Order: sequence, then structure tokens, then C-alpha cells
Amino acid sequence: MAHVQLRNIRKTYGAHVALKDVSLSIARGAFFTLLGPSGCGKTTLLRAIAGFHQQDAGDILLEGQSISHLGANKRNVGMVFQDYAVFPHLNVFDNVAFGLVQQKLPTAEIRERVGAILATVQLDLHAARMPHQLSGGQQQRVGLARALVIRPKVLLMDEPLSNLDAKLRVELRRDIRSLQQSLDITTVYVTHDQEEALSISDQVCVMVDGVVQQVDTPWVIYNRPANRFVASFVGSNNFLSLDVDGGGAARVLGQALELPSAVRRVDAKGLVASIRPEQVVVDAALAEPGVRVQAAVRQSMFTGRELQLSVEVAGHGLLDVLTAPSAAMMALLPGHAVQIGIKAQDLNYFAAGDTGVLLQ
Amino acid sequence: MKAPAIAAVIGPRGRLSIDFWSVVMALSLLVVALVLVWPILQVLLLGFFDPESQQVSIGGYVKLLTHPYYLGALWNTVLVGVGGMAGACLLGVPLAYCMARYVVKGRGVITTLAVMALVSPPFIGAYSWIVVLGNSGWLTLQMKSLGIALPTIYGMSGIILVFSLKFFPFVYLMTESALRNVNRSFEEAAENLGCNSRQRFFKVTLPLVFPATSSGAILCFVLSIADFGTPSIIGRDLRTLSTLAYNQYTSEMGGTPTMAVSISMLMIVISMLAVMLQRHLIGKRRYAGSMTNRHVQKPVVGLHAVAVHALCYGIVGLATLPIAVVVYTSFLQTKGPVFSGGFGLNSYARVITEVPDVIFNTFSFSLIATLLITIAGGLMSYIIVRRESKWAGFLDSILMVPYVVPGVVMAIGFLLTFNKAPLDLVGTASIIVLILFIRRLPYGVRATSAVLRQIKPSIEEAAVSLGASPAKAFLTVTVPLMLPGIIAGAMMSFITAINELSSTLLLYTARTTTMPVKVYSAVLDGEFGIAAALSTLLLVSSGLCVYGVLHFSQSKESAFV
Repeated sequence: MAHVQLRNIRKTYGAHVALKDVSLSIARGAFFTLLGPSGCGKTTLLRAIAGFHQQDAGDILLEGQSISHLGANKRNVGMVFQDYAVFPHLNVFDNVAFGLVQQKLPTAEIRERVGAILATVQLDLHAARMPHQLSGGQQQRVGLARALVIRPKVLLMDEPLSNLDAKLRVELRRDIRSLQQSLDITTVYVTHDQEEALSISDQVCVMVDGVVQQVDTPWVIYNRPANRFVASFVGSNNFLSLDVDGGGAARVLGQALELPSAVRRVDAKGLVASIRPEQVVVDAALAEPGVRVQAAVRQSMFTGRELQLSVEVAGHGLLDVLTAPSAAMMALLPGHAVQIGIKAQDLNYFAAGDTGVLLQ
Repeated sequence: MKAPAIAAVIGPRGRLSIDFWSVVMALSLLVVALVLVWPILQVLLLGFFDPESQQVSIGGYVKLLTHPYYLGALWNTVLVGVGGMAGACLLGVPLAYCMARYVVKGRGVITTLAVMALVSPPFIGAYSWIVVLGNSGWLTLQMKSLGIALPTIYGMSGIILVFSLKFFPFVYLMTESALRNVNRSFEEAAENLGCNSRQRFFKVTLPLVFPATSSGAILCFVLSIADFGTPSIIGRDLRTLSTLAYNQYTSEMGGTPTMAVSISMLMIVISMLAVMLQRHLIGKRRYAGSMTNRHVQKPVVGLHAVAVHALCYGIVGLATLPIAVVVYTSFLQTKGPVFSGGFGLNSYARVITEVPDVIFNTFSFSLIATLLITIAGGLMSYIIVRRESKWAGFLDSILMVPYVVPGVVMAIGFLLTFNKAPLDLVGTASIIVLILFIRRLPYGVRATSAVLRQIKPSIEEAAVSLGASPAKAFLTVTVPLMLPGIIAGAMMSFITAINELSSTLLLYTARTTTMPVKVYSAVLDGEFGIAAALSTLLLVSSGLCVYGVLHFSQSKESAFV
């Protein structure tokens, strides 16, 4: 059953439409991530759920009840902020206790619940510290504990890790995910970091220009992007133009290719195929059907974990290739010739245009 | 992005819900309309009224802009403004450069002296310079005995001297903080591209601090043309628009003050033109400094060190000379109005026995006004900073008005507005408190806005999402965080309130005389002992508040500009 439901949410700022009739339903206990470039409306949507923005039209339902008319202080949703928003004039304990004090709970219960949540986020030894004595990661743990301690119906997180350094980000990401799973709390998470979105979520919602592009599991988002925008925004992709002649015979990178029946049925004009850089095979035989073509190395970059190659297929432009580094691969210098192969099963086909839909 | 309103005013299905901040907004607009917009409109409208024919006419303005008598005053006013501004820049910019770029000993002393010069009562400069350089001034007589005749201090040169020394701290404080925020990489890049140190200063550094310096300079201009006490004390027969407006108003008393309000409008127009000119010049030149490469102050040695220190101490020394003169004078023994030689506390004894009510008036009026400014300013700045609506924008712009309305003009507006039932306030203490309130409210709003902008809106949103109502979030989270700024702002308001002269001079009665008014009349009556003692009391009070401001505000010097 849907725990949080958004029905045709619309929000405009003057002439700018931030949310164009967004409808979503989020399952109980799900880790649901809103992913998109800056300005896509993901934060606006999150803040509408929190009650900081009133939507112009549409309804927000929590457990089947509309909460649109409730003020932000009456919604019982926990919010974790990008800039932590830890009250600088209160110590860690008082920050976390703030919401419970609002509820006028007995002191003993407040003490017990704050103590428990601080232990969970590993801050029990820092209860008396002031915020300025904490690192960014610790402050965000305070923010998380403060949002969770009120036992909210939904946890909202607005890019909570974007102000932290890379290593801490991965660490806290793990903690957030395991905490969310152990508490089984419905969570709506906003990020522009696609790797973070894929790694942490049950469901990812990709947005652009106030419109939902695709809602699905990370696996499907990555491997079967619903349209060209999702395919290019999540991970990187090579887009190859398809030449289809009158008889229906297709060529990609100048090589003949048999198109799936779903693709053959649509107008061939402007069709593109996509292939992930890591799916391009370099100097090796193809076990499955596909295309093989001669290319020239233009650039080679070793990042430690992998080798990024930029290769040019004569007459068809540049292709990005990701491969495991090896002595043989490292020996490929600009100008060297390589054989690249693409398996037909790895290709996705999209209709014409920047947001052309996936053909399947 | 501007922070959104915490609670939506319009609920779902378009239902209007009354929330705390909407009520505050409505009250703020009401207050501003009554105490600010209405009096100014009165001044504006009355200028188009011909008292003889009882008809609408632009005769007053025509007379103002054609008659040599008024044109002379206009010319003097512009000259006084430009002169004061230029003098302030000539003193303020070099001082700022030395302080920002070199290791200067006793920085705290220099800044404190500059701030003291700024917050000292505006009219004591004129009077003290007369004591030093007037016809029978101390230095004039010394020089005369050596056979050297000093040029006269009275008239234009004296006014410009006093204004330069009084207002340069604005230029200094603003320029210095801008100089500190110029990323050193810019200057290094200029050097790298072949500039010598002089070219580097004029081609890179000065343009980068121009927005700040020009803001300070325009402030000096606006305050110079609005000042009443200085030209009327040291100007002798020199007319400026502010003395003229006062004299015209008092001589037209009873009749229709058409000329006084016409002059008033002209002063507002000049101030507005100056502010608009500066905005135009700055245009889009907003330089956000990234502080990756901070300046370090260079040590200076030998002659260079002597020159730098002589410049810094020389400027602030000259600027605080009037303070020293006043304090010294206040301890001279007097017999009646004359100094009888030696030191004594007679002047203070006379002040306490003869005019205790004046002291009481000043502090009680100023305290009440400060309290009002603090409460209204805190609430209004919250609306302006946090609420996105066209009314908030309107409030923000309308609060700019008192900056360009000279005190004399505001007082005339008040006299035209609050002179009949149910708002017959003429001659009461309320009218003085009200004018102190509205004249200084913008400064209070600006002080608290600056603090509020540093508090992230997410802090309040966190409180609200944890169940606090918007009003409660404001009181329990925002106000405690704003408190140091609020206190610093209140003390600044208090300093300006106790020293206010140009507006109160038209509004006071025997029962509501304040210390600056008493000092002014004492100077005119030759009661220098009483003037000095009262001024010293004002100085000490201001000094204590400066100490408080320095203690409570995070960004020290910038609290004063």
C-alpha cells in the first residue's frame, strides 16, 4: 500500500513552472530517491511534502489522509537538511530533544529516547558538546537523530551528504541506509549524485524540468533507462545513430545489425542506440551477436580502478570506453588501432529527440 | 533563492488563514504609512500650495529655483556636501589603506578613536573648532602672538573641515573592510602582468573597493547636506538649505510654510539623486571575494613606519580633537557663564541643578525610542529577509526613505501631520519619541537584517518540522541567535537617539528639551561651560554604548556603518 501519495502536484514561481503535475506513490518502508540535475524540482517537491512550500495545485496524502492543509509543524515528518541546520545555540542533547520538548513529553522519557537515538548514531559521548565543536559528519548525525527521535511517519532528506567530503559521504551513506532499514521508516531522499542514488535506494525517481522521467529500481534505471535523458543523466552512455534503409536493414558504426522487432515497427528517422562505456569490448572476440569495428585510440586515462579510453571510429566520431586496466591495455597510446565490439543485447534503442523514449 | 515563508498564508483551496507573520506585516505597513509616508506626503503636497491665492501652484518651487537668495543656499549646500564628501575620502581612504595593509601599532586605539569621532554629538565639532581656531580661539591667539594670521574658520571652509573630520570614519570603515576582502590574488596578478605598486593600487585595488568607498562617500554627502547644527554654529552668515528650511519654517510659523516645505523637497531630491548616482556608478559591479588568498599586513620599518603611524594617528587625532576640547572645557572653573580660570566642577553642578529635566528627557525619550526600534526592527527585518511577497519588498524599499530625508524635513512633516485631533501631538514627548523612532528605524532594521541573513532559514524550518509553530520557532530559535546583533543594533540606535538635534530642534518645547537642543542653545547663548558639560555626558554615554557594540557584534567596526 502506498504510504505517501502525491497527486498532480503543481508549483510555479512566476512564469517558471517548478513542478508540472507530479504524481508519485511511495511504498511503506521504501527508500525513495528523487534524482535530477539542479533546478529539476526535486527539492521543491521534498519541501512541499515537508510543508515549507505550499503547492499551487494537487494533493499530498500520508497514510491515505491529505496533509496539504497542515502547517509544517503539524505534519510529523522528519527533515534532514543539506546544511545540517543544527541549532548553534543548543548542545547536542538539546538539539535532539527539541522536537520531544515541543510534544511536552515527560523529562524521563525525553532523556531515554534522546539517549537511545544518540547511541544509535554513535554520538552518545558527545551529548554535552556544542555544535561548533563537532565535525560536519557529526553535525549531520545530530540532524539525523533529531529528525528520527520524534518517530516521524516519513523521513525527508535534502541532499544530506553533499557538504561532506567524499570518504565521509560513503561512510554516512551506509549508516543512513542500515538505520533506515532497521527502523523500517519510509524515506524520501533528494540527491543530484547518481551513484549515491543507485547505491542507497529501493526506488529511484529521475526528474528533469519539474517532470518525472522514470520511477523504478536502480537496476532498471541503469540498464533500461526510460528515455534518452535518463540514459545520459544516470551513468555515462554512448549514443550511436542508426542508419535504416528502405528495406529495414540497419547499420550502426557502419556495420550491419539486426534490430529487435519493437524497434523495426517504429519510424526509423532519428533513432539512436545507446551503449554503456563499460559494455564496449576492446580487442576481444564477441561470443554473442553484435558488431565489430576498427577504431583508433585518441586518449587514454588511467584512474587506478579502471582505464578510460576515447576511441574514434572513422566517419562515426568518438566513443567512450571503460575497461579493466592491464599491461596490454596500458600500452594503448593515442594513434594505436584497436578492435571494438558491441553486443547487440547490450544496446538500448530510443526514439528521436532529446527525451526520445526507450523502445522495447 | 529567497527563503520561503514558513507557514503558507493561503491555505489549500484558497482559504485565507491568519497567521502570526501576516498580522505583523499588516501592523508594520500601518506604522510605516502613518509615521513615514503620510508626513512626507504632507510635505510634498504642501509645496504645491500657494498660501496667498489658496490654490495649487508651483510658485514655491519656481521661486526656489530662480531667486538668487535660494539659489545661493542651494549652491552652498551642494558645495558643503561635495566638500564634506571629498574631505572624508581624502582622510578615510589613506587611513583604510594603511590600516588594512601595514602592521600599525595600536590598531584598537585608532579604530576606537575613529568610531568615537563618528558617534560623538554632531554639533560639538563646530563648537570645538571655534574654541581652537575661532576669532578668539586658542590656536588663533597663539599664532597671533607669533605674528601669524590664520585663515578664518567661519563659513564654508570651517563647515567642510568639520564635516570631513566628522564623517570620514564611514569611508574609512567601509573601505577598510572591503580592502581586507580583496583577494590578494588580484593584486598579485596585476603585479605579475607588469603593474608597479602605484598602478596596481589605481588600476586594480581602488576599482575593487569602489563600491564600498562610494557607499561611504555618499553617506557623507547625504549627512553633510542634512546637517543643521554645524552650518548654523560655524557658518556665520552662510546659508545652506537645512538652516534655511529651519529659519523659513520658524518665520512662517502660523502661516503656510510653503517655502520651508519646498526647500525640504529640494533637499530630499538632492539626496535621492546622490544615492541614485552612486547606484548607477556601481551598477552591476558586485565583487564577491573568495577568501582563499588573504592579505597579510606588511611590517613597516624606519621612515616608512614613522610616516604610516603619523598619518594614522594624525587623522584620528584631529578627528577626536573636538572631543578633547569639550571634555577639557567641561572641567574649567566657571563663574556664571564665564570661565574664571583653573579647574572645577561648576559646569556639572550647574547642569545637575539647572537642567536635570533635560538629562532625564534625553535618556527617557531615547530609551523608549530604542525599545520601539528594537521590537519593530526585529519583526520587520524578519519579514523583509524571510518572507517573499511584494509587501515585504515594499516595506524594504520604503524604509530607505528616512536615509534621504533630512531631520529638519522630517520634523516639518511631523508638524504638518500630527497637529490636529485625534493625533494632536505637537509639543508632546510622544512626537519626539516618534521622530527618533522613525528616523532611526531603518538603521535598526538594517542591523538586525544583517544578522538574520547569516542565520540559515533551515534552522527555523528544522524547528517547525519538529513541531514548533512559526511564532514559537522565531522566539525560541531565531531570536536567541539574533540577540547579540539585536543588542548591538539597539545600542547604535540609542547613541544616535541621544545625539539627535536636527529634527528635535523644531519639535521641542520647554518641557521636552533634550541635551543636544540645550547644548545648541547654550552655545548660541555663550554658555560654553554648560554646553561642554552636557556634551561630555553625551560623549560618555555614547562611549559606553560603543564599548557595548564592540562587545556584542561579531564584525566589530562594520557595526557602525
